[in-house]
Amino acid sequence: MDWLTDNYVNILRGFGETLRLLGASGALALVLGTLVALARVSPVPILRGVGTFYVTIFRNTPLLVLILIAYYGLPEIGIDFGFFINISLAMGTYTAAFVAEAIRSGFNGVPLGQAEAARAIGMPFMTSMSQVVLPQAFRLVVPPMASVYIALTKNTSLAATFGIAEATFRMRGLFNDYASQMIQIFVGISLGYILIVAVISWIATAFERRWAVA
Amino acid sequence: MVDTATPMVAMRGVQKWFGELHVLQDIDFEVAAGEVVVVIGPSGSGKSTLCRTINRLETIDEGTIEVDGKKLPAEGKQLAELRADVGMVFQSFNLFAHKTVLENVTLGPIKVRGAKKSDAEKRAHELLERVGVEAQAAKLPAQLSGGQQQRVAIARALAMDPKVMLFDEPTSALDPEMIKEVLDTMIDLAKGGMTMIVVTHEMGFARTAADRVVFMSDGRIVEENTPEEFFTNPRSDRAKDFLGKILKH
Amino acid sequence: MTSIKARWAAVAAAAALTLAACGDAGSSDDASDDTPEYEVEDVNFDEGTRMAELNEQGSVKIGVKFDQPGIGFRAAGSDVPTGFDAELGKILAADLGLEPGDIEWVETISANREQFLQNGTVDFVIASYSITDDRRQVVGQAGPYYVTGQSLLVAADDDSINGPDDLEGKKVCSVTGSTPIKLIEEEYGATPAGFDTYSECVDQLLNGSVDAVTTDAAILLGYAAENEGELKVVGEPFSEERYGVGYSQDYPELCEFINESLTEAFEDGDWESAFDATLGKGGSEAGDPPALDPCQS
Repeated sequence: MDWLTDNYVNILRGFGETLRLLGASGALALVLGTLVALARVSPVPILRGVGTFYVTIFRNTPLLVLILIAYYGLPEIGIDFGFFINISLAMGTYTAAFVAEAIRSGFNGVPLGQAEAARAIGMPFMTSMSQVVLPQAFRLVVPPMASVYIALTKNTSLAATFGIAEATFRMRGLFNDYASQMIQIFVGISLGYILIVAVISWIATAFERRWAVA
Repeated sequence: MVDTATPMVAMRGVQKWFGELHVLQDIDFEVAAGEVVVVIGPSGSGKSTLCRTINRLETIDEGTIEVDGKKLPAEGKQLAELRADVGMVFQSFNLFAHKTVLENVTLGPIKVRGAKKSDAEKRAHELLERVGVEAQAAKLPAQLSGGQQQRVAIARALAMDPKVMLFDEPTSALDPEMIKEVLDTMIDLAKGGMTMIVVTHEMGFARTAADRVVFMSDGRIVEENTPEEFFTNPRSDRAKDFLGKILKH
Repeated sequence: MTSIKARWAAVAAAAALTLAACGDAGSSDDASDDTPEYEVEDVNFDEGTRMAELNEQGSVKIGVKFDQPGIGFRAAGSDVPTGFDAELGKILAADLGLEPGDIEWVETISANREQFLQNGTVDFVIASYSITDDRRQVVGQAGPYYVTGQSLLVAADDDSINGPDDLEGKKVCSVTGSTPIKLIEEEYGATPAGFDTYSECVDQLLNGSVDAVTTDAAILLGYAAENEGELKVVGEPFSEERYGVGYSQDYPELCEFINESLTEAFEDGDWESAFDATLGKGGSEAGDPPALDPCQS
């Protein structure tokens, strides 16, 4: 177990990076995905078109390809905010497409009358969305959304070879130095990921309870 | 009671199609401030559609609609402002399912009118008291009976201090024993001088509270009269036929 | 194992052969680079040893790095890796009675070296492979044949980093193992950047996305030589890395063979000429050969 006792700071820092990446790309995905979902259900045809286009492009492109574009391509055209932000951009824009679809399925589960009632008391589109439709949609959206974020958690490991010293990168380093304890290292790092996923599931359950409608 | 200077609602030459179906034909229709108009007619006659065009939940293809002398704007900020002045009560209540009864009533004043939360709540409690569901203020809509929910919906609309109230078959989704409590609330409102357009099958309400009955059939306004005249002496064959069917039992 | 005396006899024989073949077109012409030649001996191993098997089958699989200039590097389009590690592979092969052409070069990366030895993908790993107690639990490591230490590669025009103490807040790239990362992160406050190859690290250093690359000085010297004028190695090494030759624990007899082969190379100058032709190209000295660890048995 000396791989752990000698390196727990090292490993914790790795998971710190994993969480930072999850946080940054997850936040971007939530904001962007919500906007895209709003565009897809908006009354304006061009916005609906833009939303559909976004989802089609980003949901159907392999994440690794997006990361390669963000890592090699964007700096070429002067968009270079460093590895962390560029990789977060790739992961966030990719995940946003899935968030958008999860939210849209939530919208479809909210009865039309809710939006009509909101509009009828004079709420503008965005207010009716933020006050009435989205809160109810989010509840319906929690289970699929949890899946999206669990997938994102695991996807962050792709960043290991693109300049980010996150948990998987540390694991590879440990493999190198503690060749005799590979299985332990593998199980240990996996448990770290499982713990993150368990927390996400727990948050999802809490949200579902909180937004319960009677 | 009826002020004829500027009509509160005025529809002129309104046409609307659902695809091939001509659901509103040559609608010319005015409602004066303080007037209570009941719209009746067989199902599919266009009466609900007419009601919903007044706050543009349905768009129209031709003609104009004015509310309090102002033309109905297209989508956007002005439309939202106008809708705030037009209260609406739906057949299926449409209370905000994730909000408590109290929040249902305060949401509009706070988010649309910019009222202070404490003021909005004070007013909401008054309105809930008035419609008789004050005791349920902290509950979620799903915990209330249909009649209670509909009365909350009325309170929600009233909280916006509307110039006119639209009722789209407000009792059609209710169990019979709950219809009366909602109608009583509406009658109180009518007596209080609210301008109301009520799409309903409740002839009793029409007789008691309406200043005027509008009969629609096949997308047209076929006949308009006082309740007294309309029920005792309908002029058109279609109205006679309709009344014959619903009043027989 | 052949004794040193026997070896000298073999050299004499080979020299005679070379003289005899003098009239022919130089057989070394196709290896037109300036790497030394190592005498291939006529060897005799005890029946049943791994050395005898390899000698018998006439080929050996050697795992080297393909991406570390000066150590183990294969240029695009070339079949044969170059570098100090590759030269040592040739020396070992020669002592097995095998020509450089009999060597099957296999790319190993840091993460798969133990695995490759354990499952027989390679017979030897000579791939900037530091000797550690932990590795010796799963594979054999003979040597060391070279001692280096963790150092820093920075841009030639960067005056802000002159040693590990200047790393606070700097973005530093490392690939092999947790130890270098741990050291720079926990001791010196650097921010690590994760990649899986040194060439990627160096590319990112060249374009300014990272401030330094850290690993063994030997590896860094190779990159500095390859990017002369753009990159430089700074500071004294702040750790000790002892490069060894990896072999499978299934064949413990290989340890003595490797040690004897290394000892001969230290003594007859092959080790130094191998160094001079590769890592030493930039002007650094081979120094004294390191003391070999005794083989356990």
